[in-house]
Amino acid sequence: MSELNQQMAARYKNNFLKEIEEQAEMGEWVKMCMQCGVCSGSCPTHFHPGWEHPPQEIFMMIRAGKREEVLTSPSMWMCTSCYNCYVRCPRKLPITHIMHGIAEYAYRLGLAPKMQPTLHLSQTFWNNCIKTGRVNEVRLTQSLYFKDGFMAGIKKGLEMKDVALGLIKAKRLNILEALGFGHKCKDVQGIHRMLAKARELEAKRKGAKAQAA
Amino acid sequence: MTSVVATNQTILVVGGGIAGMTAALEAAETGKRVVLVEKNPWLGGRTAQLYRYFPKMCHPTCGLEINLRRLKANPNVQVLTLAEVTGISGQKGDYTVTVRLKPRYVNEKCTACGDCAQAVATEIPDAFNYGLGKVKAAYLPHSMAYPMRYVLDPAIIGTPEAEAARAACKYGAIDLDQKEEVVSLKAGAIIWATGWRPYDAAKITPYRYGEFPNVITNVEFERLADPHGPTGGRILRPSDGREAKNIAFIQCAGSRDENHLRHCSRFCCMGSLKQTHYVQEKYGDEGKSTIYYIDIRAIDRFEDFYAKVRANPNVTFIKSKVARISQDKDGNPVCWGVNTEGYKRYANTHDLVVLAVGMEPEVKGVDIPAEVMSDSSGFIMADPLNGAIFGAGCATNALDVNRAVQSATAAALRAVQVVNQIARAEA
Amino acid sequence: MSDKKHAAYICAGCGLGERLDIAALEAVAKKEGKMQIVRTHPFLCSEEGVAMIRADIESEGVTHAAICACSRRAKTEAFNFPTTAIARGNLREGVIWVRPDTEEARETTQEMAEDYVRMACAEVKAMTQPAGNPNTGMNKTLLVVGGGISGMTAALEASKAGYKVVLVEKTGSLGGWAARLHRRVPTREPFKSPEDTGVADMLAAIEADPNIKVYLNATIAKTSGAPGRFKVDIAVESGPTVTEDIGAIVQATGFTLYDAGKLPHLGYGKSPHVVDQAGLEALARAANGGPIKRADGKEVKSVVFVQCAGQRDASGEHLPYCSGHCCNTSIKQAIYFKDANPDVDAVVLYTDLRTPGNGEDFYRAAQNRGVIFSKGVVSEVVPAGDGLSVKFHDLILDDRNAQIEADLVVLATGMVPNSGVNIDSLTAPQVEGQEAPAEGEVKPVSILNLTYRQGPDIPQFKWGFTDSHFICFPYETRRTAIYAAGPVRRPMDIAQAIEDATGAAMKAIQAMENAGLGRAAHPRSGDLSFPTARLEGCTQCKRCTVECPFGAIDEDEKRYPVFNESRCRRCGTCMGACPVRVISFENYSVNTVGAQIKAVNIPDEFENKPRILILACENDAYPALDMAALNRNCYSAYVRAIPVRCLGSVNTIWITDALNSGYDGVMLMGCKHGEDYQCHFVKGSELGRYRMSKVYDTLKGMNLEPERVLDLEVAITDLHTLPRKIDDYVAKIQQIGPSPFKGF
Ligand SMILES: Cc1cc2nc3c(=O)[nH]c(=O)nc-3n(C[C@H](O)[C@H](O)[C@H](O)COP(=O)(O)OP(=O)(O)OC[C@H]3O[C@@H](n4cnc5c(N)ncnc54)[C@H](O)[C@@H]3O)c2cc1C
Ligand code: SF4
Ligand code: SF4
Ligand code: SF4
Ligand code: SF4
Repeated sequence: MSELNQQMAARYKNNFLKEIEEQAEMGEWVKMCMQCGVCSGSCPTHFHPGWEHPPQEIFMMIRAGKREEVLTSPSMWMCTSCYNCYVRCPRKLPITHIMHGIAEYAYRLGLAPKMQPTLHLSQTFWNNCIKTGRVNEVRLTQSLYFKDGFMAGIKKGLEMKDVALGLIKAKRLNILEALGFGHKCKDVQGIHRMLAKARELEAKRKGAKAQAA
Repeated sequence: MTSVVATNQTILVVGGGIAGMTAALEAAETGKRVVLVEKNPWLGGRTAQLYRYFPKMCHPTCGLEINLRRLKANPNVQVLTLAEVTGISGQKGDYTVTVRLKPRYVNEKCTACGDCAQAVATEIPDAFNYGLGKVKAAYLPHSMAYPMRYVLDPAIIGTPEAEAARAACKYGAIDLDQKEEVVSLKAGAIIWATGWRPYDAAKITPYRYGEFPNVITNVEFERLADPHGPTGGRILRPSDGREAKNIAFIQCAGSRDENHLRHCSRFCCMGSLKQTHYVQEKYGDEGKSTIYYIDIRAIDRFEDFYAKVRANPNVTFIKSKVARISQDKDGNPVCWGVNTEGYKRYANTHDLVVLAVGMEPEVKGVDIPAEVMSDSSGFIMADPLNGAIFGAGCATNALDVNRAVQSATAAALRAVQVVNQIARAEA
Repeated sequence: MSDKKHAAYICAGCGLGERLDIAALEAVAKKEGKMQIVRTHPFLCSEEGVAMIRADIESEGVTHAAICACSRRAKTEAFNFPTTAIARGNLREGVIWVRPDTEEARETTQEMAEDYVRMACAEVKAMTQPAGNPNTGMNKTLLVVGGGISGMTAALEASKAGYKVVLVEKTGSLGGWAARLHRRVPTREPFKSPEDTGVADMLAAIEADPNIKVYLNATIAKTSGAPGRFKVDIAVESGPTVTEDIGAIVQATGFTLYDAGKLPHLGYGKSPHVVDQAGLEALARAANGGPIKRADGKEVKSVVFVQCAGQRDASGEHLPYCSGHCCNTSIKQAIYFKDANPDVDAVVLYTDLRTPGNGEDFYRAAQNRGVIFSKGVVSEVVPAGDGLSVKFHDLILDDRNAQIEADLVVLATGMVPNSGVNIDSLTAPQVEGQEAPAEGEVKPVSILNLTYRQGPDIPQFKWGFTDSHFICFPYETRRTAIYAAGPVRRPMDIAQAIEDATGAAMKAIQAMENAGLGRAAHPRSGDLSFPTARLEGCTQCKRCTVECPFGAIDEDEKRYPVFNESRCRRCGTCMGACPVRVISFENYSVNTVGAQIKAVNIPDEFENKPRILILACENDAYPALDMAALNRNCYSAYVRAIPVRCLGSVNTIWITDALNSGYDGVMLMGCKHGEDYQCHFVKGSELGRYRMSKVYDTLKGMNLEPERVLDLEVAITDLHTLPRKIDDYVAKIQQIGPSPFKGF
């Protein structure tokens, strides 16, 4: 158990809903769900076994205090941000954002499932992106394809070769990026400073919310 | 020119549905003078378009018959059809109201013999049946229409067909020279009973109403089940006329939804429970109904009606708001969603989907040509600022018939209080 | 009888002239109908046609007119001559519209038309035009029983319309339950916060109103009389009984909360920290906006609301119905907690959350404040430590062992109506499905103490709510000018009770006005006819006094019936019930129908033209026949239909007379009865049918097949099926063969 996790568990004792409201992005919306189930039924990726609990069920579990089960679930990571649920929710819950908010919180607490593909993608994407201020598509793809091992990576790469060739032709993919060349942002340092400030503000806001409540 | 006898002791009732008729009759049977204004060419409103009522499963036309008889027997009520209120000025106890009357092209000499319809070929969508069928452009709106007179649709006015209709009528009842007119009348109090309309199902895009022929609304389903309806009471699906035996009912279609209607429409749970009876009535054990719901709102004494439907093995309840509807190659609608009682996914194929669409006010509060307070859905709220304009029936809230009648009877008293006060002052 | 003048008017319009031999009809009216004036008009309902009739009334002194044209349901306003007795011969909807326009049908169609002319002439001769009896009762003071929200509303609203009111309340203060609430569910935009109950304002208004006389600590000791002339004895605690003259009554006696003591599994009685909703209102009033404390003074930090406690119960042990208000009430109460201290955990456990209309906004407002709603079925509430543990089946997470701990548990129990004595269980043995109160059970105390022959209170619907003609005519109880309002007739909240009571006051005012004019109340509103009995012939059998669905007939010391006209709804059930046929209306009697039956021409058995009599309820069956006609759904030419006011008004003599005079069969068409009755006279069709079941013995005595009388339940929508049923019946009768009574 991470330190932050212990800290939070102690701070909110039995009130997981409150914890989510204060700590997870858009968490204050969870209480507004009326369990109609439109969100769960709207998800186009529902066939994926990773969808252990659909959004509406996650929200109910939060209200029922099922902290461990929610935060360690792969479900939130399954969301592809298609916004189908979001536009249909009769209570206008920003479901997509709530799912990401909870996922992000689980990640912060160190509870998110290890090597969960979306989590891995996000992590890799993020690291890749902040390094230069712009995405290095080739490296990003490489690290994703090879996450399950070398052979799996080769296989995946061959499967996708037509797509890759198409992207290269359209000048959307620069093969030289594999070597670290390619597009960069002008002020990488500046970006890093900006991100640091954002983190600081976010922490402040969450603290304030927790205090106010 | 239509002449209207009215003074500041007259009560004007706007809307001739069950609430308006009730308000008018209760006041008239207490000795008050009433003018009843109705937009359609006939009285009765939306209840006349229902097959049966919950919970007694009796027929709305049964009550309509009594109300029409009361009306025919009561000289205190003057009925204006094809009429709309366009302006209200003045105040409590002294209103001047302008009413626009559209021509019917058929006068009181009409005996409802139907000769004019024989002479006309043009057909128009049958409004009484929500456009599910067609009628001749010279038509009697329905079998219990009051006034019991034919109507000529404006579509044929000015064409030889209108002339043919006129020539066919032996009684000189067809008057093609009728013009739209505006009359002005006095009233001491006004009862606003313009009722409701079904929410536009096409706005609920994932349900593909208007696109998939076998996705219909609850009001249309009433017409299918009714012997007076376009199929003579047989439940046939629109796409291919096949018997629809496996029917889905989707609750809260547009209601309880901040993207559509904020409020719960109150009647639609009971409405669908009732409609499962139609399926049972027509097809026995071969008929299957599935109700997709959030909460079943079978309020107060209706609970036992719900209990009886629940006990019917041919009816399945799924706690779920359907997420979307698709259509298979045979034109069958498929409902997709999740049963929230324990997270079970489904993709269920049905013969027909009935959307339990909700109620919104036919005339929203802001569109009433007078200062009237209304809530965020446009329903009239009682308020001293409204003066002597009183809401009745579904113009005030999403109500079932029984409650609409209560509300109308109450509105009648509020209006009677005003005109009695004037009578006392003038005596 | 020299002042009587009979006329027949025959219309040749609407195809009648083309389809029928009008001259032959005229001859029938003249010769057989013995009409002094017979006129035909090509378009009788036109201005000229009507003017022709009016001229005869004015200058020829016509007092009785048989109008042979369309159905009595058509052109009603045109053929309205207030001082003239009118019978309508239905040649259009009754004949040509239900007959094919073919050569072979011509003869039988003409015979049908001639019979309807004969019948109209016979009927009108047996009629008198009623003038009404305006001296039945002129009192216009309203009595309101029960001083809760409903009763106070009825009183104030009637007073605003200019009527005097007597308000009787059993307890020492007005306000009922509403006065015990901390706040009420919001009734106005934005529907977010509980609002003031409004009771104080109403109390002040009543206090200041000179029209309203209030009796506290008082009950009704006796109610006698009839609408417009009730005499009501009011028993006041510690004081003499007072008698008031009353025109009409609103009963607003409200409800009692279901006894939570019957719910030990939900912890009531086991822990002082399980309360019902009323208990919670008391705690909230005590806290007055501050933190809510339990009985032991501890501040409540967590509360669970158990919905539908002892309600919507399928086991038969508790209330089977839903009380409608309690979901919103729990939401309101959860908000009490959250508004006093947002950190209180408030959970509502429900199976269906029922917040109709703008209640949906109130539901959202509670969620927004952090109230948690869980769909689940509570199995048990048990004391745990200092508080309670609520065990439930969480239906969404499908967790059968879900559990919540709480400092306080609130049970949403239901409403039990205060409706007095169930008179049906006292008297009528023929009422199905109702059990007499078990031995030893406390008998409810009467509320109105009516001196009516049939019992002291308004008849009840199942579960003890007062009966009314539900759906279209919700106020119509079975006691004229006595209306129920509020939860005594149906579970409801304050907003609805206010609306309901206002409507009930309207109906009561209307009833008083009409009683003063001698006019009937709903559904024959305005009818001036009334039943009279030739008491010389009465055998004191009491059938009429027992059967009258509206309790209109009392008995005198010698057990003769005493008709209370303004209680009567003119259904004719008494007339149908009377075995010696001494009861009749001026324009509707054993004679007016009997004469029509006799007027029909009965062909002999060799002609193979059966005659079948249809007695059709004018409210549903007759309109169904009319609409079949409008849709040109044809049926046999062998039937002759006579509208009756209600199946309850059918006297068995009509049936035996018909069969004796050679009719081959009789069809009775009436509305559905039983729990979901559609009969506008509530019990009329049921009583009529019960009576008809005895006809079969008579048939046996006459050596006739039981099939010769058919009792059909007909709905107004049967426009397609009814013609088929008629034809099927005719075919069956033809199979059985002609009646042996023909030619006698
Ligand atoms: C705990 C609780 C909370 C509620 N909260 C809300 C809320 O927030 N909002 C809402 O809309 N509704 C609420 N309701 C419902 C609401 O209380 C009722 O709708 C309303 O009070 C009904 O009023 P009434 O006058 O018809 O009945 P009652 O209040 O029962 O009044 C009937 C009166 O008649 C008297 N009476 C009875 N028998 C006789 C007799 N024989 N002779 C003379 N007098 C008699 C009684 O003493 C009483 O004063 C709540 C109900 C409960 C139980
Ligand atoms: S769509 Fe909205 S209200 Fe419905 S279950 Fe999902 S989050 Fe809840
Ligand atoms: S009555 Fe039922 S279907 Fe209609 S809006 Fe309310 S909950 Fe939905
Ligand atoms: S209103 Fe709600 S709590 Fe009350 S009985 Fe109905 S469903 Fe149950
Ligand atoms: S006519 Fe009906 S209401 Fe009147 S006394 Fe006879 S049975 Fe009773």
